[in-house]
Amino acid sequence: MTITATGLTATRAGRTILYQSEMRIAPGERVGLVGASGSGKSTLGHALIDTLRAAGHGVAHVPQSPDEALDPLRSMAFHWREAERALRSPPCPARQQELFAALRIAGGDLCKRPWSWSRGMQQRFVIALALIGTPDVLVMDEPTSALDPVVAAGTMDLLDRHLAHSDTALVLITHDLGLAARRVDRLMVMDAGRIVEDAPTAQVLASPTSGAARSLCAHRNWLELPC
Amino acid sequence: MLSVENVTVRRGRAQVLNDVSLTLAPGKTLAVVGESGAGKSTLIAAILDLVRVAAGQITWAGAPVRRCSPALVMQEPRRAFNPHLSLRRSVMEPLEAQGHVIDTSHLTTLCAGLEIALDLLDRRPTEVSIGQAQRVGILRALIAAPPLVLFDEPLSALDAVTQKHTARLIADLQREAGFAALIVTHDLGYAAAYADDIAVLRAGQVQERTPAARFVTAPQTDYGRTLRDAAFALGALERVA
Amino acid sequence: MIRTLAGLTLRAVVVLTGTALATFALLWHAPGDPALAIALARYDAVVPAAVVEQIRAQASFDDGFWSAFQTWLGPLLVGDFGQSSVTGRDVWPELMASLSYTVPLALAGLAIALALSVPLALLATLRPGGLLDRAAVALASIGVAIPAYWLGLLLVLLFAVHLGWLPAMGARTPAHVILPALTLGLGVAASLTRILRSGILEARAQPFLPAFRRRGVGARAIERDHVAPHAAIPVVTVLGLELAFLLEGVVMVEVIFARPGLGVFLVDAIEARDFPKVQAVVVLAAVLFVVVNLAIDLFYRRLDPRIGERDA
Repeated sequence: MTITATGLTATRAGRTILYQSEMRIAPGERVGLVGASGSGKSTLGHALIDTLRAAGHGVAHVPQSPDEALDPLRSMAFHWREAERALRSPPCPARQQELFAALRIAGGDLCKRPWSWSRGMQQRFVIALALIGTPDVLVMDEPTSALDPVVAAGTMDLLDRHLAHSDTALVLITHDLGLAARRVDRLMVMDAGRIVEDAPTAQVLASPTSGAARSLCAHRNWLELPC
Repeated sequence: MLSVENVTVRRGRAQVLNDVSLTLAPGKTLAVVGESGAGKSTLIAAILDLVRVAAGQITWAGAPVRRCSPALVMQEPRRAFNPHLSLRRSVMEPLEAQGHVIDTSHLTTLCAGLEIALDLLDRRPTEVSIGQAQRVGILRALIAAPPLVLFDEPLSALDAVTQKHTARLIADLQREAGFAALIVTHDLGYAAAYADDIAVLRAGQVQERTPAARFVTAPQTDYGRTLRDAAFALGALERVA
Repeated sequence: MIRTLAGLTLRAVVVLTGTALATFALLWHAPGDPALAIALARYDAVVPAAVVEQIRAQASFDDGFWSAFQTWLGPLLVGDFGQSSVTGRDVWPELMASLSYTVPLALAGLAIALALSVPLALLATLRPGGLLDRAAVALASIGVAIPAYWLGLLLVLLFAVHLGWLPAMGARTPAHVILPALTLGLGVAASLTRILRSGILEARAQPFLPAFRRRGVGARAIERDHVAPHAAIPVVTVLGLELAFLLEGVVMVEVIFARPGLGVFLVDAIEARDFPKVQAVVVLAAVLFVVVNLAIDLFYRRLDPRIGERDA
C-alpha cells in the first residue's frame, strides 16, 4: 500500500523554508530527493519522518555522518538495545546477526564505543540500527558525503542488495544527481523549498523540465566515458 | 618545478609519509587521491614546511618551496577566514603585511574570473554562501600571483553543481595565470576531469602516478582500479553508449 | 593504564615537592628573625639572646636555607610531622584534633552546595533564557562575587542577632556548624550552579541528539542516558578546583566564626612562626588536593574514555 504524507511544511525564524508539499511512496520504491544545498531537501526529509511517525508508519533515519547518529560515550551494544526498546521489540539476536551479516559488520566489537570502529563501519551500524524494525521507509540524508568513496560505494551496494529482498522503501536525500541516478527509480527535484519536479529517473535525466533539474542534469558527472 | 624527493614524515612511531617522490611542472595540475589517513593532508603540510620532514627534500626550482610563496586553498571555506573581519580585509591583510602593493585592476580581473561581485567582499564569511566563501578563498590564494597553489579538498564542502562550476573557474584561471596546481582530493571524478596526472597515495606511499586520461581507462594498480570503480559506482564518472 | 598511573603519580610528587619548598621559602623570607619569633611565642616574654641562639641551632637555621629545609623535610618523608617549635609537643595529634572540627564543616558545606546547585541548575535549564534561568544565573553570579567573610557576617546578623535562631560563635553544639556550613556552601553552590547549568545546556545541544529522537527514544531516556553523562564531564573536571575553593573558604570561615579547626590552627602557627605546624597544614592540604585530583582524573577517564586514548 502506498504511503502518503501530505501537508509537509516548515518555517525557520518566521521564514518558510519548506512550502506545502506531499510525498507518495510505494512499498520497496526508491526515491531520490535531489537539489542544491539550501533547497530544503533535508528539511523535507525531517518533515516526512515526523509526519509518517505521527501517522503510525515505521520510518527510520540515517543522518549524514555517524557523528550525528551515535553517542560517543555509549557502547554499540547500548545503542542497539536502546533502539530495540524504542521499537518496543524484545532483544532479537537473530535479527541482529542477519543485519550485521548483510552489512558486513559482524566482526565489530559491540562492547566498544563508536569511535573505536572505523567510520565506514559506524555508518553501516547506523544503517543496521535503522533497519531493526523493518521500517516502511528508510530516509538517508547524504549517506556518502562523510565517507571515503570506496567505503561509500561499498555501503550503498550492500544496502541495495539488502533492500532488494524487502518492502522497505528508500528515500535518498542528496545534492549529487550522479549518485541518485544510479540508485533510485524516481527523482524528486527540490528548489527553494518546493518540489519542482517528480518523475521517473530516466525521464528526468532525458528531459528535465525545471531550471533546477536542468542544472543538476548538466552537472551530474565529472566525466562521461564511452563504453 | 615542484620536486618532492624521497620524503618521509613520522608521527610518533608511525610513518605518515613513506619515501614519497613526486614532481609537478610549472602550469601543470597534479591530483593526489586516496582515502582519509593516506597522508594527503600531511603531504601538503610537508610542502608548506608545516611538519618536520624526517628524510628527503622538497624544492621549487631547486630552492626551498617557501621562497616561491606558495598559496593554499583550504577545505572548509568559512573556517578559513576570521569570522570577525570582512572578506576584503582577510584577502588583503597578508599582502599588506608583506608589503605588496595591490593592483586594483588585478583584483577586479580576478574577481570577475571567479564571479565574485566586488561588494561581496565587504561582507563577513558567515554572510555569504559556502560556494561564495570558497571562491573568495581561491581569490585570496591567487591574488599575489603565486607560481604554485595547493588545494586541500577544495570542493568537498560544496554541492555537486557548485563543485563543477568552481572546478571550471579554477581551471580557467590556471590557464590564464599559469600556476602549478597540486590538488589533494578524495574525488576521483574531479581528478580525472581536471588534472594532467593522478597520483594515488595509500598508507603514506605513492601507489602509482598515471596521466589522468589513462587512469580512468586503465589504472596501473589494483588499488587504483578499486578507486576508479568506486567513482563509477557513485556516479562521479559515467559510461555512456 | 600503568603508564597513566605512573604519569599521574609523578605529577603528584612534583606538586608536593613544589608546595613544600614554596611554603618553606615564604616563611623563611618573611620579615623578622624566625628564631626570635619562635622564642617570643614559646616564652611569651623578652628572652635572652642565648636562648634565641639555641633555638636557631636546633632548627638548623644557622646552616642556611637548604640545610634547614632538609632538617624539616627528612622526618616528614617517613610520615613524622615533628614537634611544634613553640610548645615542643607532637604536631600530629593537635592537627588531628583540629581536623575533627574542620572535616565535618567542609562536608556539610559541600552537601549544602550540592543540595542547592543541582535543583537550581535543573530548574534553570528547563527554559534556557527564561525568567527562571536568568534569575538563577544572576543569583549564582552574586553568590560568586560575595566574599565569604562578608556573607558570614550577614548571616550572623540575620540568624543569630536579629532572629536569634542559631548560635554564631564557637563549636559547642552541632547547631554551631549550621551558619559556617551555610557560608561555605553558598559560595560553592554559586559556582557549581553555573558550571552545571552550562554543562547541561551544552550536553543538550549535541549534534547526535535529534537522531535519537527520530529513532523513537523517549525524552526521559535521552536526558538520563545521553545528556546526563555528557553534562557530568565538565562538573567532575571542576570539582577538583572546587576543593581548593572549599579549603580556602574553610580557613576563612573558621576564623570568622571562631571555630577551633584547621583555620585557627594555621593562623596561630603562622603568627608564632611555628614552621612544623604551618608545614603540616600545607602538606596535608597539598596531599588532599593531589589525592582528590588523582581520583577525579581516574574517574574522569572512566566517564569519558576518549581522554588519554589514542584516536581510533
